[in-house]
Amino acid sequence: MTDTKLDTTVTGVPGTSRVTRANLGARLGPLIGMPVGIVLLLIIGTLLSDRFFSVGNLVNVLINISILGVIVVGMTFVFITRGLADLSVPATVAVGAILTLGLQPAIGTFAAALVGILAACGAGIVSGVLIGYARINPVITTLGVSTIVLGIAQWSVGGVIVYGSDPEAQAFVNSRVFGIPVIVIIFVIVAVVGHLVLSRTTLGRWVYAAGSNPDATRASAVPLARTRASAFIMTAGLSGLAGALLGITLQTARPAIGVGYEFDAITAVVVGGISLLGGSGSIPRAIGGLLFVALLNNILVLQGVPTAVQGIAKGLLIVGAVSLDIYLRRKGGRS
Amino acid sequence: MNTALEMRGISKSFPGILALADVDLIARAGEVHAIVGENGAGKSTLMKILAGVYQPDQGSIVLGGSETRIAGPIDARRRGIGMVYQELNLVPDLTVAENIMLGATPSRFGFVRRRALAEAATEVLDAFDARIDPSAILGSLTVSQQQIVEIAKAYAQRPSIMVLDEPTSSLSEHEAQALFHIVRRMRADGIAIIYISHRLREVLDLADQVTVLRDGRQIATRPSEGVTAGEMIRLMVGRDLTDIFPKREVPIGEVVLEVDGLTRAGAFSDVSLNVRAGEIVGLAGLVGAGRTEVARAVFGLDRAQSGTVRVDGAELVARTPAQGVAAGIAYVPEDRKRDGIVPSASIKDNISLPVLASLSTAGWISRPRERAMVREQVETLGVSPPVIERAVDTLSGGNQQKVVIAKWLAARPRVLILDEPTRGVDVGAKADIHEIIGELAAAGTAILLISSELPEVLAVSDRIYVLNEGRVSAELDRAEADEAAVMLAATGEAANA
Amino acid sequence: MSINAPLRDGWSLALLGLVRYRVIVILVATLVIAATFVPGFFEARTLSLGIDRVATMGLIAIGLTVVLIAGQLDLSGGAILALSGIAAVGLQESMGQVPAAIVGLGVGVLAGCFNGVLVVLLRINSLVATLASMLLFRAICHLITDSRPVSGIDPFFGIPLTQPVLGTLSTRVFIFVVLILLLHVWLTRMVSGRNLFAVGSNATSAAASGIRSRWYLFGAFAFSGLMAGLAGVTFGIASNTGSPVFGDTIVLTAIAAVVIGGTRLEGGVGSALGTLGGLLTLAALTTAMEYQSIPAYVQDIVTGAILLLLILLDRLTHAKRGTDVSPSALLRRLSSKRDDAHSHETERTPA
Repeated sequence: MTDTKLDTTVTGVPGTSRVTRANLGARLGPLIGMPVGIVLLLIIGTLLSDRFFSVGNLVNVLINISILGVIVVGMTFVFITRGLADLSVPATVAVGAILTLGLQPAIGTFAAALVGILAACGAGIVSGVLIGYARINPVITTLGVSTIVLGIAQWSVGGVIVYGSDPEAQAFVNSRVFGIPVIVIIFVIVAVVGHLVLSRTTLGRWVYAAGSNPDATRASAVPLARTRASAFIMTAGLSGLAGALLGITLQTARPAIGVGYEFDAITAVVVGGISLLGGSGSIPRAIGGLLFVALLNNILVLQGVPTAVQGIAKGLLIVGAVSLDIYLRRKGGRS
Repeated sequence: MNTALEMRGISKSFPGILALADVDLIARAGEVHAIVGENGAGKSTLMKILAGVYQPDQGSIVLGGSETRIAGPIDARRRGIGMVYQELNLVPDLTVAENIMLGATPSRFGFVRRRALAEAATEVLDAFDARIDPSAILGSLTVSQQQIVEIAKAYAQRPSIMVLDEPTSSLSEHEAQALFHIVRRMRADGIAIIYISHRLREVLDLADQVTVLRDGRQIATRPSEGVTAGEMIRLMVGRDLTDIFPKREVPIGEVVLEVDGLTRAGAFSDVSLNVRAGEIVGLAGLVGAGRTEVARAVFGLDRAQSGTVRVDGAELVARTPAQGVAAGIAYVPEDRKRDGIVPSASIKDNISLPVLASLSTAGWISRPRERAMVREQVETLGVSPPVIERAVDTLSGGNQQKVVIAKWLAARPRVLILDEPTRGVDVGAKADIHEIIGELAAAGTAILLISSELPEVLAVSDRIYVLNEGRVSAELDRAEADEAAVMLAATGEAANA
Repeated sequence: MSINAPLRDGWSLALLGLVRYRVIVILVATLVIAATFVPGFFEARTLSLGIDRVATMGLIAIGLTVVLIAGQLDLSGGAILALSGIAAVGLQESMGQVPAAIVGLGVGVLAGCFNGVLVVLLRINSLVATLASMLLFRAICHLITDSRPVSGIDPFFGIPLTQPVLGTLSTRVFIFVVLILLLHVWLTRMVSGRNLFAVGSNATSAAASGIRSRWYLFGAFAFSGLMAGLAGVTFGIASNTGSPVFGDTIVLTAIAAVVIGGTRLEGGVGSALGTLGGLLTLAALTTAMEYQSIPAYVQDIVTGAILLLLILLDRLTHAKRGTDVSPSALLRRLSSKRDDAHSHETERTPA
């Protein structure tokens, strides 16, 4: 309560500047909530099943979330910059996967993956320009871009399933370095880079500022449209990367390969406590959300709970996480 | 004449501010009662109490002879109080007729009685002699037409009391005439009209009674007949100077900022002014005179249609905030919450936001340089608490304002535009901010200060430009500027005085 | 200036007209293209088949039109469709066909109310809220069916739904057309319909005028649930099957149709006939392209391009949205131009 003494001046709006014990809790809650939740899940999982707390199982959980995790990193940028959500993820994932496998025989896996990622970035540029500069609603923009891009991707391969022809690449992605699966390493690199960009670079600052208060951000001479656009370009590029990885691992790519990833990514970000209102959140929090969902799923699977219940759990988790966030915000005195 | 409304002994305070102290107001049917006063005199608070937005701390409201508690805006409307605010409160995507009858659409079995709707709207618009198509989409009308629709909407409820809060602030002289016609119509209908305006001449033209408020106190209430504009101004501004702002004398250098013929349709026209190095120039004027609009256009936040802005002789061409900053202009905005702070970010992130480029290499922010820079600014300005990782929305208003100023000092501007830098700030922080302004001027910064608080402008400025309805109506030297002279120019009375 | 002004005026007017009547323009263009490619396209049979295939999506689109006008979004329609379908088909054995259908509708309403609670009471952003409920409803579908399709007791019960009743219109098309006309009447003629626009356009003003905004939002979601339920029940009965995977992509396409029809995602603008136009455009496109054996993905590209183009046009002309481009005003413009009279008379300054 000593904090209130700092507040010697008048804001004109009662209560906005007070730091009381109650809203201190509300402000700290989101910071410690997720780690505590994950630890609790680990304990519960261990108690319920002896197969849970084993290296094999936990590494499997990591492998399972790695590809989605790459997308989550991008989606976090979109959320923080108040870009609502990127619904074109399934299309950009498909572009990455289809081009990687389709071009593999001609130019090699690595170059093909690069082309796939660049093509996905191209889709992101279209969305980004329409959302950032023309200020069109992100939901409808990414929906429209998604339809077009998916169509083009299918067109380019004649609408059929593409099969991989480079088992070595598959073997490499599935291999382990010092016992850590390569795919997990890629995910960790993406997450760390994403985290650094968000927390340590000019662009990262702009992303937060644009999401928290676009007017003040513009008045601070920040290129608002470019910032918004870059979040979508990044998400598209990372989805392309996720698609490439998915294609290489599965060695098949069909146009619907990315369906559901957009919603799974949104779920992870929302469960991580990041609000659609923008301006706050971080990559670790989003990945915390991702881990939480994954561990919960894993526990349910080990318990032999039907898959459908996992869907129910996910739905309730979103509602619970957002309601809690809204409740804490109100209690914390932020509008 | 019978009394429609009586507000007795109304007092209202907000934390730290006594907004209204023992104010009485009587409005009679078929009479226009004007309320005048400087910005912040308590006019709007009084009207918000009448509208039920605020509850008075003390005092009573008597409506049609019986004491009443007004629960909220909808309750006020039901009790026959029509409110027209400065900000329009209409639905842009519906038609004029639908807007006028919104919430009271004539219907049968849930179906809109379209003919009755059109007739009702036409009747009201005809009563106003307004030539507005009731079937037009509201968003397609001009602001002045929308203003008339807003009044028509209130009038359609057949109120016994009609409150007009600054209805002409966004209207041209010609458009205002149409509005006065409407006010007279309503008066002839036996409605009690409460009229708030800064334009003294129209107040004297229209009103039967005038109440003058100053710092939340009722200074006078008298019949408007025989009252002159000069008399009213004296009543409005005649206050003791309690806050003393020490003014530093600094040598004044070359012209740094030069604005020539700047025009933005509907906001201001042909504004020319200049500010020299080390000079503090005040930009005075009433709310709606276009001061903020001029400042935003100079900085590059809004686009101006014509005119030039030069800094050190070099013309700014692109006119974006980025170019403004590059040319050395900084703008501390009027609306701190909207344009000033990024609320959820830390003090550090706020202060470094406009200058991140200079603190980073290839986009990578150097944390030691950033911290050092921010610490220096926080220390210079005395931001409290000096915890740079603290979120800005946990600070008091005065400290938030210091953060916004610090943000721009970090950019080391040649020209600093301060728009209401001390609004909503306590006395201590106010003195701090004045001191900072003085020091900056001493260091050779050209300062353009916008403030609605006349004593502040008078005490701090070397020179004052006064805006009236978007035009520069006077340029006063420190020696010749006093409250009366500025108010005369600001109300457009200077020519008649 | 004097030479340039009318020219530019003419172009911008044409553009505004195009935006205002875009549904009709696009629909006519699509129909013309379709007619040139598909022999006998305008034969009643071809046409009604075309409409029949969008009837189910059309019901979802009706609900979405209302939700979008209120300024919200509902992603859960497909899942509600599946859930209601399963209820309406799966319960036939235990409670009879008609009661099961009614229960199916009830399920839809309940699901919609659940969305309403999330958005209005818990104040969750509708995008996230209906995403969560979509996952939830879909999971319930899988749970109660064990992820297997359920079949009805009598395959002939649903036949009348797809049989022509009026000329060549099938029953479900008939239901859809009647509902969309009712929606048109509601949105344009009834007080509550007009109030819905007010809530979507400026909820604060609406509330200040005594309109209960929150109830309208809740009602919009409940209605959307009912429409999705109706879609599920008719689809389930017609196919004599209820499946947990039904309707998994229907909502996004339905949103596209509604937006092509001129309804604004930000709320306050939209029309039932526009939605009908959007749906017919998609139907004509599908029919024409299938006839030409053009793969479905080309159709996707065209749909997406139309969608983006229309929204971009809408955005570019937003500042002039109020300019009067009703047929009578256009006519007035044309005639006044011919007379070389004051062409600026009807020009309005945008607010």
